Amino acid sequence: MPSADVVVIGAGLAGLTAAIAAAESGARVHVLAKGHAATHWGPGGIDVAGIPAASTPRDGIRLLAGEAGHPYAFLGADVAAALDWIRPHLAAGGVEYVGDLDTPLQLAPTSIGGTRRAAILPAGQAAALSPWAAGERLVICGIAGFKDFWPEAIAASLARARVWDGGNRPASVTPISVVLPGLAGRHNLNALEIARRFDDPAWRTSAIEAMARAIAAAPGSGGRVAVPAVLGIRDHAAVLDAIGGKIPAATFEMPLVPPSVPGMRLYAALRAALIRAGGRVQIGEMIERIDRDGRAVTAVVSAAAARTYTVRAGALVLATGGIAGGGLVAERDGRLLEPLLGLPVEAPAADDWLAVDAFEPAGHPLEKAGIRTDAELRPVDADGTPVFENVRVAGSLLAGQRYIRDRCGDGVALASGWRAARSLSAVPAGRAAAPGSERP
Amino acid sequence: MGESHAYDVLVVGGGATGAGVLRDLARRGLRTLLVERGDWGTGTTGRYHGLLHSGGRYVAKDRLAAQECISENRILRRIAPASIEDTGGYFVATPADPDDYVTAFPAACLAADVDCEEIPVAEALRREPALNPAIRRAFKLPDGSVEPWQLIESNIADARALGSDAWSYQRLVEMEREGERIVAATLRDERSGSLTRITPRFVVSCAGAWAGQIAAMVNVSVTMHPGKGTMLIYNQRMTDTVINRCHKSSDGDIMVPVHTVAILGTTEQRVEDPDQYEITRDEVAALIREGENLFPDLGRMRLLRAYAGVRPLYQPPAEVTADALKDGRQISRAHTVLDHASRDGVENFVTIVGGKLTTFRRMAEDTVDLVCDKLGVTEPCTTADAILPNQVPGKTYWLGHRLAEHEAEGGGDNGLLCECEFVTRPMLDAFLDRHPGCSLDDVRRGTRLGMGPCQGGFCTFRAAGVVGERAGHAGAADVAELADRAILGFLRERFKGTRPIAAGRQLQEQWMISGVYGGGLGVESLIEHGTPDASGEVAGAQR
Amino acid sequence: MTIAELIMDASEEAVGYSSDECLKCNVCVTVCPVARVTDLFPGPKYVGPQAQRFRTGHAQPVQVPGAPFMLSPDVTVDYCSGCGWCTSACPAGVKIAEMNSQSRARMKAGKRPKLRDWGLGQTDLVGQVGVLFSPIANWALANRPIRAIMETTVGIHRQAPFPKFGRRTLQSTWKRRQKRRGTTAAPGPDRAVVYFHGCSANYYEQHVADAAVEILRRNGFETIIPEQVCCGLPLISNGIYTDARQKAHRNLDVLAPYARQGYRIIGTSTSCTHTIKAEYREMLDLHDEDATVVANATWDICEFLLDLHEQGKLNTQFGRLDEDLPYHAPCQLRSHGIGLPAMDLFALVPGLRAADMDHDCCGIAGTYGMKKEKYPIGMAVGAPLFEKIKASNAPEAACDSETCRWQIEKATGTRTRHPIEILLDAYRAGDSERLAARGPLAPAGT
Repeated sequence: MPSADVVVIGAGLAGLTAAIAAAESGARVHVLAKGHAATHWGPGGIDVAGIPAASTPRDGIRLLAGEAGHPYAFLGADVAAALDWIRPHLAAGGVEYVGDLDTPLQLAPTSIGGTRRAAILPAGQAAALSPWAAGERLVICGIAGFKDFWPEAIAASLARARVWDGGNRPASVTPISVVLPGLAGRHNLNALEIARRFDDPAWRTSAIEAMARAIAAAPGSGGRVAVPAVLGIRDHAAVLDAIGGKIPAATFEMPLVPPSVPGMRLYAALRAALIRAGGRVQIGEMIERIDRDGRAVTAVVSAAAARTYTVRAGALVLATGGIAGGGLVAERDGRLLEPLLGLPVEAPAADDWLAVDAFEPAGHPLEKAGIRTDAELRPVDADGTPVFENVRVAGSLLAGQRYIRDRCGDGVALASGWRAARSLSAVPAGRAAAPGSERP
Repeated sequence: MGESHAYDVLVVGGGATGAGVLRDLARRGLRTLLVERGDWGTGTTGRYHGLLHSGGRYVAKDRLAAQECISENRILRRIAPASIEDTGGYFVATPADPDDYVTAFPAACLAADVDCEEIPVAEALRREPALNPAIRRAFKLPDGSVEPWQLIESNIADARALGSDAWSYQRLVEMEREGERIVAATLRDERSGSLTRITPRFVVSCAGAWAGQIAAMVNVSVTMHPGKGTMLIYNQRMTDTVINRCHKSSDGDIMVPVHTVAILGTTEQRVEDPDQYEITRDEVAALIREGENLFPDLGRMRLLRAYAGVRPLYQPPAEVTADALKDGRQISRAHTVLDHASRDGVENFVTIVGGKLTTFRRMAEDTVDLVCDKLGVTEPCTTADAILPNQVPGKTYWLGHRLAEHEAEGGGDNGLLCECEFVTRPMLDAFLDRHPGCSLDDVRRGTRLGMGPCQGGFCTFRAAGVVGERAGHAGAADVAELADRAILGFLRERFKGTRPIAAGRQLQEQWMISGVYGGGLGVESLIEHGTPDASGEVAGAQR
Repeated sequence: MTIAELIMDASEEAVGYSSDECLKCNVCVTVCPVARVTDLFPGPKYVGPQAQRFRTGHAQPVQVPGAPFMLSPDVTVDYCSGCGWCTSACPAGVKIAEMNSQSRARMKAGKRPKLRDWGLGQTDLVGQVGVLFSPIANWALANRPIRAIMETTVGIHRQAPFPKFGRRTLQSTWKRRQKRRGTTAAPGPDRAVVYFHGCSANYYEQHVADAAVEILRRNGFETIIPEQVCCGLPLISNGIYTDARQKAHRNLDVLAPYARQGYRIIGTSTSCTHTIKAEYREMLDLHDEDATVVANATWDICEFLLDLHEQGKLNTQFGRLDEDLPYHAPCQLRSHGIGLPAMDLFALVPGLRAADMDHDCCGIAGTYGMKKEKYPIGMAVGAPLFEKIKASNAPEAACDSETCRWQIEKATGTRTRHPIEILLDAYRAGDSERLAARGPLAPAGT
């Protein structure tokens, strides 16, 4: 049976970060994942701490670290290092990020006409973030026939001051719709389909020309332009260049409902980085059980046709996601379980899981549920004793964060993935602790 | 609203009964106005089990009700086939069901004229393999499932074609009584707030569980015993046949396939106010346990949501027993027409209470017979003979039709706004054309948008976008508020149903959707705390 | 099959229950090779768990005079190629590809199968006849006008890649060989394995079987080749489940006794072995002990060799092969869930620079890409793979599945062989190296 120094379960931001970091420090890394989840659903940004009280992400980390039980209490310091380390990897995969921990948090408009607080965004979305000059206008440019983006509704909503918290916002918001070549009459059309077309240079040219003409003719033009997040998948950088060359207005993508093209770009870049570092990724692995010997995990066993597939593991990173990712399962009898290792889960009583109002301002108590760990990310029991020595927990599986409300999920994922790998590289007896590779 | 408000009859309450009364009155030549405070069928009709009764549930204890059911069952199949799915029904004896009831069952069916044929258990299991393999006996009865909103709209359409009217979002706020007559009624437009005064010759209350509130407007006392019934919606049809337990009615003893889902019901709990009730996790757990008598693997199957309807139970004061107050099941399901002339001294007022959706037409006929008698109208009732508009005789509902129709046009996801339930843009446009100013919840009832596994996650904003696009001509501010209310109200409404069943895959679905809306889409920024949205909910309010 | 019937499928791999798991997240759509290239296919989510809620078995519509009698509401699911990527990528465990296969079968049930679909399922019949008349058959299949007629009449694309019929079947060759050797008792299961050769090795690619037998011998295993018939996958893929079950039963009757004695059943076709491992139970609903014991005993040959290696028992006397070798992992291999054993074996061969082409599907998808209306789709699906292989300028490529090999070879012009044929080359290179090391004409004893 194959064996790996580090087996990572989960191929999201946390899992792949841990895997790349571990592989670069010399470990043989095997990533096993049931499928794609958060990466293909999320907006593709790096949300570190987008709370209203914070001026910058760094400020937000500090504030959240002060909340009882938040992972930033012990991970906060790792966010900067993890971010600096991962950026070049992502850039090598065609995804450049703009902004850092000291960039002021701003409101970026969204594809349902709302706003979200952000500071670090991929280059394709970043133009949303600079403050609006007096009189600066916004054009919402939709694509005819594309059902996941509705310019009129978006523009009408963004024209209201209250959506921008009464603060800095565009002077006007104008909807337009562009007919792009070859899309009319299609029975199937989603964001990915359009993105793939943008990868084709010939189509790209005629599409961008059509967009440029429509934007120039729009009454509210001259400021910035928002488009749905469909600007290429493999050749995103080339598409951005082409847009920059043809459309004078600063243009930015707005993320949509899944499948998220920006999220898929991020995944592709992470996967490429892992493979470059010599790691292995297997998608489609349903983990059946994890073998253990005392407080050490020894092997990960997944379902195969007519048998099981076993990978011997020197160490394990559990990055299976929270409730959305399937890493935490809610039983009908009110228990919240971590199904792979049976780790103790910190969660409120079932009757208290959800507030009555869907949009309860204080949030739903269940959001903070997850696995409690020590500062080294080892899962611990109620006494604080590590349940396993060679297991690290990373990502939204960690207890104490409200990643939706506080927009801290990506920061926690990066920092915990980074820390997990470093923690493991220092662990095994007989193996020289390899320093994490530094990049200029 | 018409210029002339001179109606012969004002009918209050736009559920199935009200719509049936409207149609019957119109057909007998009376110019009638039906009013409803919300969208059509948002009372008990819209929150019921979806069952077209064979009457089998009543043969033992309430033969009258059983006979009415089977008679109307046959009539509805004739006049409203498109609203009915001919699922057939089984009454099965599970190990938990006592022998004496089962033994007496076939004879009781015969006595009530309810078709009942015993079939071998093996055949029942072959056709419905999810059934409890330990069932002892199985009977085939003509149950079916029925889609109430289409039924209501057909009745209204028939009446409108004859010159009567039906207004939704018009709440009856006041009735003026002078001596022994109601002389006027005031309606408030729930969207604009404007008031309209109607002066009908007669008033019929079809307000069901709310009948007491309507009667109170003219100092008439009608005491309703609203009975809450909770139901669970399963994501898939683990049965294509209506399944009843062959026993004395109790909780969780019936599973009805309705369109793409299967609905397990129900419970019985007295509530004080038909607009205020709660569904608890314990209640849900108890229902599932009962349901496992019929389908042992029920615990593995995915629940989409829980909802409750309030039964319009009525028992005349002299007959109210302590037992009946505790156990609503003892109260007769047969309907009662209250003649307020003899009962309360108001000459031109009648209330219809009780009954069930299956017998709505008969309830209407009985009511309209009385009304016509008092108005001196001798036209006979024709509602049982005339097929409803836009129906093909004998062509009942087929589950596959939406998929088949879409596939016939080349299929594909692009044409679908709600992918789970195959709701297309033309369908949505047609509905919005017919229901200007409606909410997305109204759209849901009329098209099934948002009723699938994602519970509106992927279609809400699309529908809001269409609403926004259409309303774009009305001005920016309106569009935005409309879209907001649409998105927020709809999501809140869906959440209400998910909360009591939050577990497993549906909770994961909810969490994923919340992550998308709260994350990249920034839905929080749309909320204006302290103001109500389309569901009538104020953010943060308790319900 | 009603939804209820699917739900109550007793096996753990129950397809029907899995439809409940769908989150509507569209991840499956992002990995679908067919949706990627054609608007005719709405993608796995639509034809799988989404459409599943609209399928019902017994509640047939009341027959309306003049209107067509519809049993199945599906049309577009026909374009699913069955590659299985959707099932792999789904985070919630929906068995989408399997569901699609069942609904395709349902679509065709009650109608007479198209001659083409029936024909493509009759691999044994076609194979026997083709071998019997191989010179003519091979000539005909290479003859353009005849292929054009085939396309018009039967619906098999004129460019569909067909292999050449062998001069005799493997079964007949083997039987002759056994006759010559005389009957001896087969060695026990620790020194012999049963070989499930599949139609390709039987009728077209006997050299793959020869390579398998030799490699097994070099690793201490004799090969037993019992009577067997087509695994039935082409029949399953074309929705002809009754005939597929007949094939399955015939194979299980032969293989089960061996499996019960502890013999492993080795296959050189990842499609055949997957069918026996999984599809007999999942798709054909065969849940008896025979099906289970045979499934548990079945191994892909690279899987088997890698397992030997992990036990330290593999003959690693590979010589040096100095070449670039593009490798394509067939879809059917991924469904096994065993990683990429061929790549791990290639890593043991000095100088062999094997590169996983990392492409989703070559487009043939069994018999799918041979059909007239599906051929362009298949070629579009495989195009990036073909480009990569051509651009590598490698002398040959490797792939574990026969139809994939034929597709790749035809589309790229690059000879494409089974991984074990490459490994055999490496063994032989090792022989040569050892011989050379001993020196020419070395006297015996030195």
